[in-house]
Amino acid sequence: MKEYATVGKSALRVDGVEKVTGKAIYTDDVRLPRMLQIKVLRSPHPHARIIKIDTSQAEKLPGVRCVITGKDVPDKRIGLNVKDEHILAKEVVRAVGHAVAAVAAETREIAEEALDLIEVDYEPLPAVFDAEEAMTTNPPAIIHPDLANYGYMLTFTKQQDRDRPNVFNHSKIRLGDVEQGFREADLVMENRFTCQKLQHATIEPHSYVAQPEADGGLTMWFGSQAIQVPKVHLARVLGLHPSKIRLIVPYVGGGFGGKMFRDEALTAFMALKAGRPVKLIYSREEEFYRGGTRVATIVKIKDGVKKDGTLVARQIEAILPSGGSTESVVAFISRNCMYAAVGLYRIPNFQWDSYGVYVNGPVTTSQRGFGSPQIIWAIESQMTMLAEKLGLDPVKFRKMNFLTEGEKNLIGERVHSIGAEQALDDVVNFIKPGEKSKAEGAWRKGKGFAIGAKYSEAPTVSMATVKVIEDGSIVVYHGAQEIGQGCDTVFAQIVAEEFGVPIGRIRVVLSDSLVVPYDHGTQSSRSTYHVGNALISACRAAKRDLCARVAKGMRVSPDDLDVKGGVVYLKSNPDQKMDIPSLFLGYRPEREQWGFFAGEGEITGSGVYRQNSIPQDYETGQIDPKLADEDKRATAFFEYTAKAVEVAVNVDTGQVKVLRFGCSTDMGQPINPKLCEGQAEGGMAMGIGNALFEEVIVEDGVVKNPNMIDYIVPSMGVIPPVHEVASLMAPAPHRDGPYGAKGLGEGGVLGIDVAIADAVYDAVGVRIKDLPLTAEKVLRALKEKQPGA
Amino acid sequence: MKERLNLRVNGENYEVFAEPSSTLVEVLREELNLTGTKTGCDSGRCGACSVLIDGKAVKSCNVLAIQARDREITTIEGLGGRNGELHPLQEAFIENFAFQCGFCTPGMIIASKALLDENPSPTEEEVKAGLEGNLCRCTGYVKIIEAVLAAPGKIQIRSAK
Repeated sequence: MKEYATVGKSALRVDGVEKVTGKAIYTDDVRLPRMLQIKVLRSPHPHARIIKIDTSQAEKLPGVRCVITGKDVPDKRIGLNVKDEHILAKEVVRAVGHAVAAVAAETREIAEEALDLIEVDYEPLPAVFDAEEAMTTNPPAIIHPDLANYGYMLTFTKQQDRDRPNVFNHSKIRLGDVEQGFREADLVMENRFTCQKLQHATIEPHSYVAQPEADGGLTMWFGSQAIQVPKVHLARVLGLHPSKIRLIVPYVGGGFGGKMFRDEALTAFMALKAGRPVKLIYSREEEFYRGGTRVATIVKIKDGVKKDGTLVARQIEAILPSGGSTESVVAFISRNCMYAAVGLYRIPNFQWDSYGVYVNGPVTTSQRGFGSPQIIWAIESQMTMLAEKLGLDPVKFRKMNFLTEGEKNLIGERVHSIGAEQALDDVVNFIKPGEKSKAEGAWRKGKGFAIGAKYSEAPTVSMATVKVIEDGSIVVYHGAQEIGQGCDTVFAQIVAEEFGVPIGRIRVVLSDSLVVPYDHGTQSSRSTYHVGNALISACRAAKRDLCARVAKGMRVSPDDLDVKGGVVYLKSNPDQKMDIPSLFLGYRPEREQWGFFAGEGEITGSGVYRQNSIPQDYETGQIDPKLADEDKRATAFFEYTAKAVEVAVNVDTGQVKVLRFGCSTDMGQPINPKLCEGQAEGGMAMGIGNALFEEVIVEDGVVKNPNMIDYIVPSMGVIPPVHEVASLMAPAPHRDGPYGAKGLGEGGVLGIDVAIADAVYDAVGVRIKDLPLTAEKVLRALKEKQPGA
Repeated sequence: MKERLNLRVNGENYEVFAEPSSTLVEVLREELNLTGTKTGCDSGRCGACSVLIDGKAVKSCNVLAIQARDREITTIEGLGGRNGELHPLQEAFIENFAFQCGFCTPGMIIASKALLDENPSPTEEEVKAGLEGNLCRCTGYVKIIEAVLAAPGKIQIRSAK
């Protein structure tokens, strides 16, 4: 790979000092004069009709300033993919935790007290909690009887399944003929894999502060992974012109896909109604009901393979339950999880059906991988089982079926930039699957590995602007959010590289919708690739502007000049140069005075990166083959990531410990290797938790463990010793990426559950197909395997 | 009824009025505007609200403000030097990329400070045991452990100067 000055180097984070000193501002740190505190009354019923709400006692409580219920809020429904809920429930509650009323009061304690004084009469309705029951043609409850008339994003309009009233999306892929493929196969294997509901458990809860403005509009600070998309939705539901809405995202205390589209509209509406600034901070319990949980997915997979290991057919049915509403993105998750099945293996006959289904459960949403981890849990588990059954080496079996550069994937895209093989080799070399470690007491050891591909969505757009200021420093304006991943550092590095200056000369502006240009949002591992590309264009435009200004004075053509290290210089004779600060009028270095302004106006450059996509056929999921040959595609890129672990399983208790962990990731050109390692290591801890013990337990719509004591988040004790953790890189640069970069955030967790489950099988011979692999489940499986033992 | 309360925070005396039921983190954040200390889980698990009381790390959501009266409280704002100089632990966190979103970081650094004050050269196992009460959802802890293990050397160099 090419060597660069700053790109590819582990520059220290630009937000470092702020974050280690406690000076970094998060939403809850924003405090405004006369600010009220919001608390939300949430339904105790999973499905019920609201008969009556009496708020009169709450309104009389001293310190209460505003109480709102469903009748106060706009009739317009909100939702990104399917418009299926109001700001507050109007007639029916569809989940425990569904918002029914909200109070703004002088203190949080008063607001809480007021909630107890609101009387709601409910008429309970039949509810449905099980996804497979909910998706039948005659379910016990129909959660949105009027679904056919709701506003739908175009991608989904044709996919409503009118015979199954709780199904809001059905996505398909049809390639070849799977039945014929199964007939041709020497081995056909069918399995059902399930995985649990998880909570993002960001240490910062969902947080909102909104201030009504004199012009009837509002300013909102919130921990969010997007600004421009929420702005448009807020404008629509509140009936405001977008120019009246200013959204500011300070530092965000973790996202993982959960910090989008929650109670933005409720907070904004309350601020306007109360006429005072308001703050809403979710309690930890609210995080579990309303903050969002990962979609607990059911995956039925059937594969047909030849004796030599050639995959000939695969059929997948995936069922993805949302909560009582789609929470903006579950329709998309239930569609886009298809890409987890199409980008890695060559399979001539492939059939995919995925369903998004309403149940009366807590909010579900995107979580690190947008449905891909759930699908890969099934595919990769099955791959190892197939290899074992055929007596093949599981590494060779995978590799022989890998798609290679230029081949068509299962939706007809021509694949490019595939680091899968190296990633797999890396982790296999690290873990050495054949070499078994000795048992110690009750602990049996085993090894496992897996590989996965994570697409990045398209079409989306990012824009960026850079401004060269009087000391030659460059200010960067972009619309992505710094949620911890380090995007501001990566962007500063790209700009530093383009201008040939140290990273310290770059100043990155945090998200403010009134200031920064458009961005689709911090999701789908897309920021480095999209914003990075936009920034390169922006930098080159600003440099062209600089060259044009200097060219006149030097009486040369702008093409004869270039910019580097704070000077504009003549390419043929670099000694002939001009310092950037001297372009600013009033610059008097001898008097220690910077210039005031650049004579010909601001020195700026803007760039846009639009990742186009071409549509997939609704019935077959395929793209137009002619367009595919022109390198048009449905997705932006694929990241490939392999994981391997060694575990110890206690045969007396069922407990599983991860002893060693290796991962290797193809993120294209790494812009900052240490930040890439950070994603891999963060993914490791999250992946271990997801595989072994994290689970949101829901019974009849009620969360049984809505706190951080009973919902266990991985702590330091669960990770292997530091020297047993390897985060490796297998970069396959992408021709369309900035310096060849792709992305990597979501891939961090992919396949860890598979690798651990495989290692458990390797250790003690039990294969568990239902996540998480709790000690109880492992022990039960051990007992079933050896009754009486 | 609010009570008058003397608190000594980061070497300075403050007189505040707080409900007897107010937690220390509430008073630090809401009355003194020391917002570096974070509220995460409100149940004493996550450690984002960790502060030092008389040199020991405590979770300030689990301590009533009145319990901290007249004791020496140190928050993240009090860790560095008066001239803005970073504490060696803070430097180690930056140099080792030991944070991402940064929300757990003040509590993590405070807990690490208490750990190193008690055990100036801990092993990896001791770091893990000492910081078990502080959760980080972003980093996977590897770089936090590396930072805490790197800090003693930096502290020695600093004190030799």
